Amino acid sequence: MIVELSVALSVGAGLFAVGLYGALSQTNLVMIMMGIELILAAALVNLVAFWRYLHPDVISGQMFVLIVMTVMAVEMAVGFGIAVARFRSRGSVEMEEARELKG
Amino acid sequence: MTGSYAELFFLVFFGLAAVWFGIVVFRTHSMVRSAMALLFSQTAVGAMFLVMQTEFLGVLQLMMMATEMSIMALFMVMFMMDPGGMGAMDMSHQKRLSLRAGGIGLVAALAVSWLPDWGPAASNIPDAGRQVELLGIELLGRSMFIFESAGLTILTSMIAATMVAIAPRKKEGAA
Repeated sequence: MIVELSVALSVGAGLFAVGLYGALSQTNLVMIMMGIELILAAALVNLVAFWRYLHPDVISGQMFVLIVMTVMAVEMAVGFGIAVARFRSRGSVEMEEARELKG
Repeated sequence: MTGSYAELFFLVFFGLAAVWFGIVVFRTHSMVRSAMALLFSQTAVGAMFLVMQTEFLGVLQLMMMATEMSIMALFMVMFMMDPGGMGAMDMSHQKRLSLRAGGIGLVAALAVSWLPDWGPAASNIPDAGRQVELLGIELLGRSMFIFESAGLTILTSMIAATMVAIAPRKKEGAA
C-alpha cells in the first residue's frame, strides 16, 4: 500500500465532496463556479498523485494536468461572460431567478 | 512505505489545509472571504504539487490560481448583493440533497482510493529540469494536436465570453 498515494487520493475525495456540495447548494452563479473549481482541483490532485507514485516515467500524466487547467480557465471565462450578460439583462446572478433558462 | 516522513507530513498538512479552506468557501457569508478561502485552498493544492516533486505544475498552479481568484474576488464584489456579508444573507438551497450528494461522493471516492491494490510505488522520479524537458518534447511531439486544441479552445472561449458580455447595440429608430 502506498500511503502517500492514499493520502493524496483522500484529499482529492474531500475536495470533490466539498465542491459537489457547493455546486448543488449555492444559488449564486459565481459560488456555483467556485464549487466546480474545487471539483476540478480534486481531479488535478489525483492526476499528479497517479503520475508521481505510479508512472513518473510517462510524462503524458502531466499533459492531462495541463488540459484540466485549461478546462478551469475556460470555465471561468465562459462563466463570467454569462454572469455579465445575466447581470446586465436582469440585474442579478441568482440562479433561483433563472428558471426560464430551463428547457 | 515510500518516500520520507517529511513528504508524508507535508502532504497531509497541505491536504488538510486544501479541504479545510474548501469548506470555509461555503461557510462564510462574506463573498470576498469566500474568494480568499478558495485562493488558499488552491494554493495548498499547488503546495501539494511541489511536495510531490512536480515543480513546474506546482508553480503554474500557484500563478494561475492567484490571478484567477483575484479576478473572481473582483466579480464577487461587482455582482453580489451583500459582498461584505454584513447582512448574513443565506444564498443556498436544497441543503439536505447537496449534503447527501456530497456524502455519497465522498464515500464512493474514498472507497475507490483505498480498496484497490495500486501496486508498488515508483521511485525513479526525473528531476525538475528533466521533467520540463520531457514535457516540452511531449507537448511539441506526440501530444501536439491535443495541446493546439487546448489553445484553440481557450481562444474560442475568450471570443465567446467577450461576445456574450458585450452590451447589445440598440437598433436605430428604437425607442
